[in-house]
Amino acid sequence: MTRARIFFTGVGGQGTLTATTLLARTALDAGLPVTSGEIHGMAQRGGVVESTLLVGGYKSAIIAPGEADVILGFELLETLRALPMLKRGGFVVGNSEALQPVGVCLGRECYPPLEAVLETAKGFAAQVVLVPCISLAEQAGTAKAANTVLLGAAAACGALPFSVADLTRSIEKYLKPKLVDVNLKALALGAEAAKAGQAA
Amino acid sequence: MGKELLKTEGGDTLLLLGNEAIVRGTLEGGVRFVTCYPGTPSSEAPDTFFRLSQGAPYYFEYSVNEKVALEVAGGATLAGLPSLCTMKHVGVNVAADPLMTLAYVSAPGGLVLLSADDPGCHSSQNEQDNRIYARLGGLPCFEPATAQECKDMARDAMLLSRKLETPVLLRTTTRVNHVRGPVVTGDLPATPYEKPFVKDPAKYVPLPASARVMHKRLRAILDGLVAEADASPYNVESGAGELGFISSGVSRNYLSDVLEEEGLVGKVRLLELGMTYPLPENRIAAFLAACKKVLIVEELEPVLENEIRALAQTRGIEVEILGKSEHLPRLGEFSTANVRQAVRAFVGQPAAVVDALTVPGDLPRRPPNLCAGCPHRAAYYAVREVYGDTAVYSSDIGCYTLGFLPPFRAADFLLCMGSSISTGAGFARASGKPVVAFIGDSTFFHSGITGLIDAVAYKHDVLIVILDNRTTAMTGHQPNPGVDTTIFGENPNPVDLMALIRACGVEPVKVNPLNHKATLAALTELSKQTGPRVLVAEYPCPIHARRVGQAKKTLPARVAGDPAACLTVRDNLACPAFAMVDGQFTINAEQCDGCMFCVQLSPDLKPGKKEAK
Repeated sequence: MTRARIFFTGVGGQGTLTATTLLARTALDAGLPVTSGEIHGMAQRGGVVESTLLVGGYKSAIIAPGEADVILGFELLETLRALPMLKRGGFVVGNSEALQPVGVCLGRECYPPLEAVLETAKGFAAQVVLVPCISLAEQAGTAKAANTVLLGAAAACGALPFSVADLTRSIEKYLKPKLVDVNLKALALGAEAAKAGQAA
Repeated sequence: MGKELLKTEGGDTLLLLGNEAIVRGTLEGGVRFVTCYPGTPSSEAPDTFFRLSQGAPYYFEYSVNEKVALEVAGGATLAGLPSLCTMKHVGVNVAADPLMTLAYVSAPGGLVLLSADDPGCHSSQNEQDNRIYARLGGLPCFEPATAQECKDMARDAMLLSRKLETPVLLRTTTRVNHVRGPVVTGDLPATPYEKPFVKDPAKYVPLPASARVMHKRLRAILDGLVAEADASPYNVESGAGELGFISSGVSRNYLSDVLEEEGLVGKVRLLELGMTYPLPENRIAAFLAACKKVLIVEELEPVLENEIRALAQTRGIEVEILGKSEHLPRLGEFSTANVRQAVRAFVGQPAAVVDALTVPGDLPRRPPNLCAGCPHRAAYYAVREVYGDTAVYSSDIGCYTLGFLPPFRAADFLLCMGSSISTGAGFARASGKPVVAFIGDSTFFHSGITGLIDAVAYKHDVLIVILDNRTTAMTGHQPNPGVDTTIFGENPNPVDLMALIRACGVEPVKVNPLNHKATLAALTELSKQTGPRVLVAEYPCPIHARRVGQAKKTLPARVAGDPAACLTVRDNLACPAFAMVDGQFTINAEQCDGCMFCVQLSPDLKPGKKEAK
C-alpha cells in the first residue's frame, strides 16, 4: 500500500486521537509522508470524534465520502455512521461493542444491531472485522486500552500499511513507560481476535 | 508536545499539530510576549505556550477577553518586544476596536495576530472570513495550509512585522489549526530582539491630526509590500497551459490532491498564494495574462476573486475569471469532493460519480451533552422546575450552551460571548416577560459584567444565573480571573465574584447547585422579586476538579428500588451515566461521577455502598 486514507471515528474519551497520533508517528518512523487531521471542541462532551490519517503524499487532511481506504471505528454505531466514507474495496475494522447515546438511553431512539454494519458493508468492503475492543482491553488490564486493541486488529488483518511489530515499536517508543505493558497486551489481544475472526 | 518546542537548535523533524507549529514558528521569530483568549480552533496555541511558560523566554497570559489581550500585546510591542496575540475568528470582533487603530500606531517590537477561522462552524456560532479584517485594518496577511507552513509563516510573519514595525495577521482555519504533520524546525534566535521605546507622541497617539499622518504612513507600507508579496516564496507558480487556478490557504491542499488524482498536474497553470495581503498584484497580473480562463479556489468569501477581478479590469487583461458564483460554494468547508466537481466542470469533464455506501438516515444521533456530574445540569433542572416554559431563557457561549438540548431547552436565544445578560435585559424590557439569563464565570469576566452594570443602571428585570464552575471548561479548562487553582498551582489573587457583583449594585445569592433543596428555595425566592437579580450557582467542573486533584472520591449512585420508578428522573436529567440494559433503567458505574444529584429526586436511587470485603 503506497497511499492510504484512514478514517477514525469514535466517541469523546475513547482515545481516538491518541491512536491517530500513534499511527502518524509510526508512519513518520517508516519514512512515509503523512498528514493527519482532527476536529476538537464540542466532541469532548460525549459527541462524535473524527480524525483522519493520510499516508503517502496527500496534502489535504479531510476525507470525503467514498474516499477512505480504511475505516477504524472505535464504537459500533459510529462505525455504521461512517460507512459512507468508505471506498469500494476498503477495510472496515471496528469495535463490536456499543456506547449508548443519550437518545437511546431515553428510549427515544433504537441502537442498531451489529448485523447492520456487516449487512451494509457486505459486497462493498473488501473486509469487515469487528472485535470486542472494550472487553479485550479489560482483559489486558484497563478498558482505556480499547483503542490499542483496535489498532492491533487493524494491523493484523492487513488494513494498515504497518505490521503489528511496527506498532509494538511505536508503543514502546511513544507511550509513557507505565502504560507500555498493558498496551502491548491489548495490541496482541486485538491482533489475535482479528486473526481468529478472519479464520472463522 | 513538550520541551522539544523550546530547543534552541533546529534541524529536528517533529510531528506537530498546526497550533503547536505556530508556537515553534513564533519562537523562531523571537517572540517574547504572548497574550490570548482561548477558543477553538485556536486554543492549543496558547495552551502550549502556557504549558511551556515556566523558564521560557516569553511572558504569557490568558487575558480576560480578546480586546484586552490585543491591548496588552499592543503595549508590549510598543515597549519593543516581539509579541503574539491569539484568538478565534469571533474573538477578533471583540478586539476590533483596538485592531482598527493598531496598524496606525505601529508595532515597534513586532506583533502577530493569530485569527483562527472556523469554516463549517465546527465549534462556533458563525463562519466569518477574517481575511476581510486584514483589508479593514491594514494588516499584511499570511495563510498557511500545512503544519510546516504554520511554523514557517508564523516565524516569517513575526520577522516581517519586526522589520516593518507594523502588525501582521496570521490567518488560519480549523483544518489548518488541527492538521498534524511533520515539521522541520529552525534555530531559535541567539539574541533576544528588543527596541527601546523613545517617547514620540505624534507617532503613537492617534489624535485626529496625527492619525491622518499615520494612515498615510500605513498605506505607504502596504503599497511598498506589493513587491514583497510578488517575490514571496509563499506565492508559488507551477504548470503550463491556458487554464489557470489561483488558490490560498487550506483550499490549496484540496486543489493539489484533486489535480494530482485527475491527472492534471503540469497540464494546467497553478498559482498558490500563501502571502495574500497585500495582493502580489504583478505576479497575478502576469499569471492572468498567460491564461484564457482562471478558477479562483478559496473557502468562504470571494475575497481574492473580487480583488483579482478588479485587478484584471484595472490592468486591462482579457481573461475569464470564475469562482464562487459559477463553481464553488460560499458556505461551509471545502473538501476534495467539492473541489473535484468544480475542477472537472472548469476543465470540461463530466461530474464525478461518487461511489459510496448509504446508511439509514434515522440512526440515533450523538450530540454533545453536559457531562455526567456537571453542576450545570442540576442548575438547569432547578430553574426549569421554578419557571418551566413561562420564562424566556437567554443563553451565552460555554459548555452550558448545551442546555439548549432537551430535556432542559434552556436557551431561547444567543448572540455572542457575554451577551446573555444584556440581550436578556433588552428582551425583558421589550416583552415584559420573565427572563432568565445564563452565563458562565469566565464569560462573565470576559464581557458579561458590562451587561450587569447596564442592567443595574436601567433596572432591567432579569434573573441572572452565573454558572460558576471555577474554570473555562468549554475550551479546555483554562484559568480565568476568578479561579483559586490552575493546573499549575494556586492563584494568589482570585477576583472575588460575589464582591464584584455586590459592587455593581446587586446583592447576589450563592448556592451549590448540587444541593437541590437549597437551590430550589433560592430560585423560588428570586422569582418573586423584580429588577436585576443574581444567583451564583457555584460548583467545580468535575473533570477539572479531577485534573487538579481537588475531587473527592465518591461512589457511584445506584438503583436501589424499582427501576421503572426512576424513569422520570432519567427523562428529566438525561445524564450520560444513565443506561437501559435489557429494558431496565440502570446507572453505569464507570460513567457516574458520584455527584448524587439524581438521588435527591427519587427514593429509588441511593448513593453507592462500599463493597463488603
